[in-house]
Amino acid sequence: MKQHPLCTDTEHAENVLELPIPAGLKQEWMALENRRRFLGRAGKVLGWAAMASLMGNRGASGDAHAADMPGAQGPPSPAELKLPHFAPKAKRAIYLFMSGAPPQIDLWDYKPNLAALYDKDLPDSVRGGQQLTGMTAGQARFPIAPSHWAFKRYGKTGTWVSDLLQNTGKLVDDLTIIKTLNTDAINHEPAIMLMNTGNMNPGKPCLGSWLSYGLGSMNDNLPTFMVLQTKVNPKENNQPVSSRLWSSGFLSSEYAGVGLRSGGDPVLFLTDPNGVDREVRRKMLDAVEQINRQTYEELGDPETNARIAQYEMAYRMQASVPELADLSKEPQSTWDLYGEDAKEPGSFAYNCLMARRMAERGVRFTQVYKRGWDVHTNVTGTLPILCQEVDRACYALVTDLKQRGLLDDTLVVWGGEFGRTVYSQGGLTADNYGRDHHPRCFTGWMAGGGARPGITYGETDEYSYNVAKDPVTVRDYNATILHCLGIDHNKLIYRSQGLDQKLTGPVPANVVQGLLA
Amino acid sequence: MMNGKELLASANRLLEKLRKTRAAGQVKELIAVADRLLPKSELTRAVWLASLGFSVVLLLLPLIVKLDGRPHADWEQFLGRFHPLAVHLPIGFLVLVPLLELAGFYRPALREAASFVLGLSFVCSLGAVMLGFLLAFGGGSTGAVVTRHMWGGIALTIGVLVCLLARPFWESDAVALVYPWLLTCVLLVLMYTAHQGGTLTHGASYLVEYLPAPVKHLLRLGDSAQAAPGSFYAKHIHPILDSNCVSCHGPASTKGGLRLDSYSQLMRGGKDGAVVVAGNAGNSLLLHRVTLAPSDKQFMPAEGKPPLKPEEIAWLTAWIQQGASPTATKLAGIAIEEAPEELPIKPVGDYSALMPEIVQMAQGQGAKLVPVSHNPSDGLILNTVDIAPTFNDAQLAALMKFAPYIVEAELGRTAVTNASLDTLAKFSNLRALHLEGTAVTGDGIQKLAELSQLTYLNLSGTKVTAAAAAQIGSLKNLRHVYLYNTPAQPAATAAAMQPIARKTE
Repeated sequence: MKQHPLCTDTEHAENVLELPIPAGLKQEWMALENRRRFLGRAGKVLGWAAMASLMGNRGASGDAHAADMPGAQGPPSPAELKLPHFAPKAKRAIYLFMSGAPPQIDLWDYKPNLAALYDKDLPDSVRGGQQLTGMTAGQARFPIAPSHWAFKRYGKTGTWVSDLLQNTGKLVDDLTIIKTLNTDAINHEPAIMLMNTGNMNPGKPCLGSWLSYGLGSMNDNLPTFMVLQTKVNPKENNQPVSSRLWSSGFLSSEYAGVGLRSGGDPVLFLTDPNGVDREVRRKMLDAVEQINRQTYEELGDPETNARIAQYEMAYRMQASVPELADLSKEPQSTWDLYGEDAKEPGSFAYNCLMARRMAERGVRFTQVYKRGWDVHTNVTGTLPILCQEVDRACYALVTDLKQRGLLDDTLVVWGGEFGRTVYSQGGLTADNYGRDHHPRCFTGWMAGGGARPGITYGETDEYSYNVAKDPVTVRDYNATILHCLGIDHNKLIYRSQGLDQKLTGPVPANVVQGLLA
Repeated sequence: MMNGKELLASANRLLEKLRKTRAAGQVKELIAVADRLLPKSELTRAVWLASLGFSVVLLLLPLIVKLDGRPHADWEQFLGRFHPLAVHLPIGFLVLVPLLELAGFYRPALREAASFVLGLSFVCSLGAVMLGFLLAFGGGSTGAVVTRHMWGGIALTIGVLVCLLARPFWESDAVALVYPWLLTCVLLVLMYTAHQGGTLTHGASYLVEYLPAPVKHLLRLGDSAQAAPGSFYAKHIHPILDSNCVSCHGPASTKGGLRLDSYSQLMRGGKDGAVVVAGNAGNSLLLHRVTLAPSDKQFMPAEGKPPLKPEEIAWLTAWIQQGASPTATKLAGIAIEEAPEELPIKPVGDYSALMPEIVQMAQGQGAKLVPVSHNPSDGLILNTVDIAPTFNDAQLAALMKFAPYIVEAELGRTAVTNASLDTLAKFSNLRALHLEGTAVTGDGIQKLAELSQLTYLNLSGTKVTAAAAAQIGSLKNLRHVYLYNTPAQPAATAAAMQPIARKTE
């Protein structure tokens, strides 16, 4: 590297002495250089001394706040966490996240009596002084909007399901339907954070990251936790989802969800550029790893190790992802089941099929995001579009897992971040209405490993407004999901900011025994 | 704050006032009593005032030093734990007092002793209260029963003190009735406080737990009968009530005073009386209401909830008709097809000695043995997913050392063939076997019949024929068999098919 002799970059001082310049100048440079170096170093040393005294005797470890927990030299291994705490029913999970909040009254929570109350005001006693969102708080009236759709009974259990979900309805004998989920948040961002991470504020690890951290990988060639986003349908009211929903929070970033793109190459830049073969790529990665190891030894930042692991994973994914995304060997029966939509990358049906393929290949946790459920207006126009995208694909996924023998040890979870109001947002007409956010009750379902099939858990009041029996809080729900995967939610912890952090947070949570097989 | 003399002076002024208002005819008698009762000498007055002050202090103590639910100093708890021991002393003394007073009619000497015993019981009560307070405060106890017991103890101590003060007037025949009534009240407070203490130590149901059932029923006390787990009630009746009735007839909302969330509540009935008459379905209100026409105002479940299913009504009828038993497991004429129960899991031996090798395998490139859980007796899972295309019969055979500990073999999409069935037949604790997408054709599948624990067999996407699939029938404990996309179960029809589920004998 060319260096100007009077360059003040002290790191390259040695080079100066080798330059063909007069000896006197060199001596002058040396004096100057030493003084500079002395002052520079002195400043740093003082800083380090102050730092050391501030950190007490814990400064030696790279991750100071984690120094006194097991595995201070890296993340605690499953052996140290004693995981799984007991024999799990489910080895893996697929979470179909319906972002935007599906209206429970139009899909699952059958309230035939509401038809007679059309356009009547919701009694104040039901609302009980609840604070509403800014979108309806100013409304003069809260007219009851009965569901536009008829319901039918399905399966041996005779469970009522909306005509919008005629395929999912066929699954009811395999589903665990929970009508009494309830949340503390009334707006999308905090509510979706709460569902995913157990906390409304960003910065906590999500369910998938906790599973990754606690249970580890079943497959060296694919990430433990993968995220599939469904392509946005412009006819729907889409709320943003962001990577902090699959963030690892204070856990090492190797536990974060790995997203596959919803169109084109599932992973960008995964294919080697022309002229670079596997061998060259391998050598390059080995060299980068060496440099990263030096960096780690110098600075002790555990994120450096996470980066090394991620480069290695990316290298292995160069081989495994094309195989994962190659649907050419799927038999015709797959397309008969999922429908032609599944051939289009980024559709919900495609993502469901991918989720099944990931389950087969040992991906621990797959989260599929489907946006657009935020039906503040025009429910009768939008909901059929949403259900058409989702209904058959959900049926196909559960059926496919079942016929292939995967449903025995795979837990499938379906649901959003809250429910929607029984009263209409905006004007109520004979054939249309809108529904606002409703945190007090909403419906979700589970199927497969560990969940009790063919039951409906909990009951709501006659307005689908309050829980009448057996409420399930978000933390109870997450505790139950962890239980299905062999985890005691109170024991899956990570010390951060002086607390034993856990997915279910500091408020006591209970595994809902009634949901378990 | 007023000192003793000022207090005394103000008490005297009060007394003067009372005397001056003597004119009022109705209070005349009362004043006369008060005149006799109220202390005349400086000494007795001091005693009364001291007692008053003492009582106030005792009453204020729990308000100043609050029971905050947090444990405090060890010495407090240490002393406090003598409370259950010390507390019986004042009880004994106090019960002795009325006996001595009564016996005094025959032997006056005994009555003389009563005063002394009463004094003793006061001193001991005070000690017991102090120890009790230390126990509650030091141990961090709180709650309604603790609070009731505490106030009971304080009230009792003050009551005994007042008895002690009132007794001389009774003895000198100045006031005849105050002391006996006071003593009776104190004894009642004693019983109340002692019962609260007993509840704290033994639990609420201790006293009446073994009360004869008819008396209990008469008194409407507690859960007289518990339904046995596994009984017809627990398995079939309770779920019907729970899913159809309890949201309105439960602890949260108890319409018509009727609760149906437990057997005893069901049998107790509601405001309209019993809803179940054992042995008489026709007279049972419960059945009557659910079998009305759904349009009837009295029809249950109300509020447009779906009616009970015919078979549910049939079960309820049969159960009530045959005695509404909390324990019977079978009913005549009712056969309910039940899903086959999962086998209880058989623990495997401890593989800890092989752990170094297992860890080494986990770090290597080959197959891995993954613990099912932290508990070694849950066994190991054979995981081959990373090397599936190259994992073959020989590699499987090389794992024989681990065979007794492997409960699940994930061999999907590996290169194993029918030859591996011989090896797998020796995996004596195998519960789940994945062979999907392999070249296995099912020839010799009956060799797996030796595996008594095997409940799951996945042969999806293999070349298993209908003939070989028929052999699977010899594997007794299999619950979950998957033959999707095989010659035995072509994919085209598979979507509509259920996995084969078999009942156990």
